[in-house]
Amino acid sequence: MSKAARDASVRARIAAQRETERKQEQRKRLTTIITVVVVALAVIGGGWWYAAQQSKSETVAGGLAPVTVQSDGTAVMAKPGVTTPVLDIFEDPQCPVCKQLEEISGPTIKNLAAEGKVKVVYHPLTIFSQEPTRSNSLRAASALRCVSDGSQWIAFHDRLFKEQPSETVEGFKTDDLVKWGNDVGVTAPGFESCVKDQTQQAAHEQSSTKTLQDQKLQGTPTLKLNGTVIDNNTIFVPSALRQEIINAGK
Amino acid sequence: MVLTHQQAAPGRPRTEHPALPWVTTAARLVLAAVLIVAGGLKIGAPALSVQAVQAYQLLPDSLATAIGYGLPIVEIVIGVLLVVGLLTRVAAVVSGLLMLAFVIGIASAWARGLRIDCGCFGGGGELGAGESPNYLWEILRDFGLVVVAAWIFIRPPGRFAMDSALGLTGPREPHQPEGDIFQGEEPDA
Repeated sequence: MSKAARDASVRARIAAQRETERKQEQRKRLTTIITVVVVALAVIGGGWWYAAQQSKSETVAGGLAPVTVQSDGTAVMAKPGVTTPVLDIFEDPQCPVCKQLEEISGPTIKNLAAEGKVKVVYHPLTIFSQEPTRSNSLRAASALRCVSDGSQWIAFHDRLFKEQPSETVEGFKTDDLVKWGNDVGVTAPGFESCVKDQTQQAAHEQSSTKTLQDQKLQGTPTLKLNGTVIDNNTIFVPSALRQEIINAGK
Repeated sequence: MVLTHQQAAPGRPRTEHPALPWVTTAARLVLAAVLIVAGGLKIGAPALSVQAVQAYQLLPDSLATAIGYGLPIVEIVIGVLLVVGLLTRVAAVVSGLLMLAFVIGIASAWARGLRIDCGCFGGGGELGAGESPNYLWEILRDFGLVVVAAWIFIRPPGRFAMDSALGLTGPREPHQPEGDIFQGEEPDA
């Protein structure tokens, strides 16, 4: 074999070896990439599933605990004799996050009250200072104040959140408010004129402003358990909220 | 080596200033910190995260719900990938696209006169009493992060990257041209 031929064969062998190494390396890289991608997707999928589980609402199983409307416009929901722990709910009928809270954790709160585990106090407020949200909120909250029967109050309260308008349009019009009130069985005499003439608006504004100041609220919704603000990571996770309230009652 | 010119990966040009990989590392850490903090603050209250997405009024409710649940964990996972420098380019692309989506969302909320909090770092996209949205600042911040992501994409993976340790940036032999990690094709010179 000539030197040239030997060289050529060596070169060919080296080239072949390199090629094999390169292929191996490539396969290894591909395997690593696929593994990382699969793990990342699995973690994302798991996290997504967990988030969905965390946000699962209870359903209101039986009846509600008795609701009593107070003269200051708040409403107490508690079984007779249950005085602690106290859960104060500060909410604005126009606030979207409050609507979200009602949807996610509202049933848990109602169930706990019905189980005699907590005394719930609803404080309807108006936090908005701009239009159209301020007037929307004022109309809805003062309409709520026209209802004196507790079970009708809570039904109307729930309906208001269900019908919450967008923050960019005029909503909660008095005609609609009267209609929704009648739908949920409000029987108070003078309900229609009370809503249409907004006779409760001044009283509502006054107590709303006072509550916002006295309670030093940063915004709505705020939930206080025995006077202490509950964290958002608890109030928007029904199982965590239930646990927190049950622990407070122990 | 005729094709070297075309194939040279952007990550390792031959006459690279020695500080450049460190810039990429810093960029990775900045972007990762923002993503992990944003995701971490949102992940505890998924329902609130859903509300924040819905506040933009851009997506149908079911889609907003899915995104609200998924966004925090996606942000955290991408953030972790950036910290360790794993699949750096992919993580950079995903985070860049996320930031672009946020820019679009915020700009559109601004244009429509919505008065919302961006919900970027937790919160339900709801402004507290008397607060005003600062859309311009939010857009500039997110756009700045798009630029940071673009830098990482162009000059991956930087120092302290698992991509390098695992050989994901291409063959080690310095004389061989590198292929993109997804193409893996190399010229037979």
